[in-house]
Amino acid sequence: MFRWRAIGPLLLFTLLGAGLWLLLADRIARRSAEKIGTAIVGAKVEIEDLHISLANGDVTIRGLTVASPHEALKNLLQADELVADLDVLPLLEKKVVIDRLAANGVRFGTPRATDGRVPMDPSASVSGRVMSEARDWAQRFQVPALQLATGKIDVATLDPRRLSAIPAARALNARADSSRRAWQTGLDSLRSSVALDSAAATLARLRTARATDLAALNDARRAIDQLKQARNRVTTFERNVTGGLADLRAGVAGLDSAKQRDYAFARGLLKLPTLDAPEIGLALFAPSAVAQFQRALYWTQLARAHMPPGLLPRADAGPPRRRRSGSTVRFPREHALPGVLLRTAELSFQLDPTAPQPKRYTGRLTGLTSDPAVYGRPTLFEASAPAVSAGAMLDHVHATARDTAGATVQGVRLPVLQLPSLPMKLDPGQGIAQLGFALRGDTIRARWSIRSTHVQWSRDSAGSTGQGSTGADLLWRTLSGISDLQVDAGVTGTLTSPRLSVRSNLDEAIAARLRTMLGAEATAAERRLRAEVDRQVDPAIAPVRARVTGLQTDVTKSLAEQRGRLDQAQKDLEARLRELTRIRLP
Amino acid sequence: MLSIVKLLQSLVKALHSEGTPGQLAAGIALGSILGLTPLVSLHNAMVFGLIVILNVSFPGAVLGWALFIPIGFLLDPVFDSIGHTLLFTPALTPFWTSLYNAPVFPLTNFNNTVTLGSLVFSVVFFLPLFFAARGAVTRYRATIGERVRQSKWYRALTASKLYNVYRLFRPET
Repeated sequence: MFRWRAIGPLLLFTLLGAGLWLLLADRIARRSAEKIGTAIVGAKVEIEDLHISLANGDVTIRGLTVASPHEALKNLLQADELVADLDVLPLLEKKVVIDRLAANGVRFGTPRATDGRVPMDPSASVSGRVMSEARDWAQRFQVPALQLATGKIDVATLDPRRLSAIPAARALNARADSSRRAWQTGLDSLRSSVALDSAAATLARLRTARATDLAALNDARRAIDQLKQARNRVTTFERNVTGGLADLRAGVAGLDSAKQRDYAFARGLLKLPTLDAPEIGLALFAPSAVAQFQRALYWTQLARAHMPPGLLPRADAGPPRRRRSGSTVRFPREHALPGVLLRTAELSFQLDPTAPQPKRYTGRLTGLTSDPAVYGRPTLFEASAPAVSAGAMLDHVHATARDTAGATVQGVRLPVLQLPSLPMKLDPGQGIAQLGFALRGDTIRARWSIRSTHVQWSRDSAGSTGQGSTGADLLWRTLSGISDLQVDAGVTGTLTSPRLSVRSNLDEAIAARLRTMLGAEATAAERRLRAEVDRQVDPAIAPVRARVTGLQTDVTKSLAEQRGRLDQAQKDLEARLRELTRIRLP
Repeated sequence: MLSIVKLLQSLVKALHSEGTPGQLAAGIALGSILGLTPLVSLHNAMVFGLIVILNVSFPGAVLGWALFIPIGFLLDPVFDSIGHTLLFTPALTPFWTSLYNAPVFPLTNFNNTVTLGSLVFSVVFFLPLFFAARGAVTRYRATIGERVRQSKWYRALTASKLYNVYRLFRPET
């Protein structure tokens, strides 16, 4: 049954495999780490050297570079050396447990020569999906554009097809026509003339009748009843007409509202610069603020995707291979080891590596795991130094994930801010930057602020809107004298309907200058446009208004006439009846 | 083209090896596991060990492997579906959870839908394939096997050096 002489070659083959593994393990592990890291981060992860020492239970990584998924020529971080104390036994369960990781020489935001971003397909990778969602989220914010008028404000051509009052007037005209027809039919169907004719005939008989002519008296009473019924019909019909007329009058009032909307629409065509201070804050700093919040959201959502809460089995895409990848299902169990766990990491890092004398900071990360519910504790990060305080907590232990992060950095060089639509750049220099971010379930509360007292302004040579115009010159003179900068931006609400607010100390200064520059011209342009709206809309509205008024007068008059004739006929009959019956009384 | 030639070579070698039809069929059945399931898996190392240690036909295993690789690719959607059904059956969740948190088992990638589905399929398919292959080999040898053995090209093939290496692993009758 057994082929004993094959044992030797089999052992040799096994030994050969083991030898190859020893030779190639570092290379395979390095490539796998780069591949997995790239898939997780959504940007290139490069490792110069990786060495596994299973005997000592440690892994050493040298020259780690993680590119930024948001900026083309920037790294997210670089690290000189990472040494991980690896728990060997859990490897048999295909679990990676690192007791302690020491990261030295970590530098953030270093430049790189090539684009480190990888093409991300939202349907094929987690990072691609999360990036796409974060982008969609950022596009929910309607950021007003700040425009500097470079010459006369142009009164754009007003297209009558886009005015709402004209079709509304046409519709009301049609309604008035149909109401007139319906009411005329209604008036005809009242049959008041029948009752009136009968009453007139009865009255004629009564004039010659005697008090003993009981038949004539009964006819008279019947005629009075008919008149009463006819009047009831008129009253009911009048009620309907009153309701219809109220609708038509509301329609006329609606024409006025439509005209107001047309004024607003026409005002939008003017492309007037925003003159309100809060709007200016949004226009200037919202893109920068939203970019910060978008990044924070990307990392948080990425953490949620790779560190999901709960203990239910969950499927991820299987390993890439020539065969179908399928899905790989994880079966976490309470009190067991998580798939990946980093118990503690000590970080030594620099925040401004390009500074002449970069400062060193230290940080500590605990409980980073792929199965937070299994581990039972949140992931914590803290870093503190005289000028830096940062902390983060990723709590995915319970069903509702809670993620918070906050950082205050002082004395570091803040990035240059491009001010959209303004032909100038703002260099905050060294200052204070703060970021607070909290995501509980899908409720978001985030804040970003920068403070600087040594702001430097420079004119943009790229030829932005307004470059060289009088307005731009005036703004340049206004802003270049400001050396303080305070920007506060915040997002609240839910991920599906977030609210953004941005304030800065520049808002009021710019708003006041724009008002001075453009106020008179804007008012005149708006007046011209209102006149144009009136010219196009009034010929459509005026006849309808007159038609509704005429209809109201005609119907009311007609009904009043009918009612008057019925009343008079009834009164005449009743008077004659009284005369006849008085004779009989003693 | 080369792979087709190799497949034919394996087929001829297997059919005319000294092994019994049972040994040849066992080799084909074990080789089919290698072909039907993703190759780089721990269970395949065990299957390979069995092919080497057990007195089954090595060429038969190579033939089974070569024959069932394309079938494996074709049936991957079926394997995915089988694996998905098994892994997400609530009654089996405690079992999978135990395996997932036990040593060594996670290294088999049993928790991958294609790996599990293809392994289950190939294990279920093992005995039917074994009996079918044994019947087919017996019938072949009784009918046209001897004529093929006498042909020139067969003798050319068996005279090659590669054949000597193969003889090391031929079944002991």
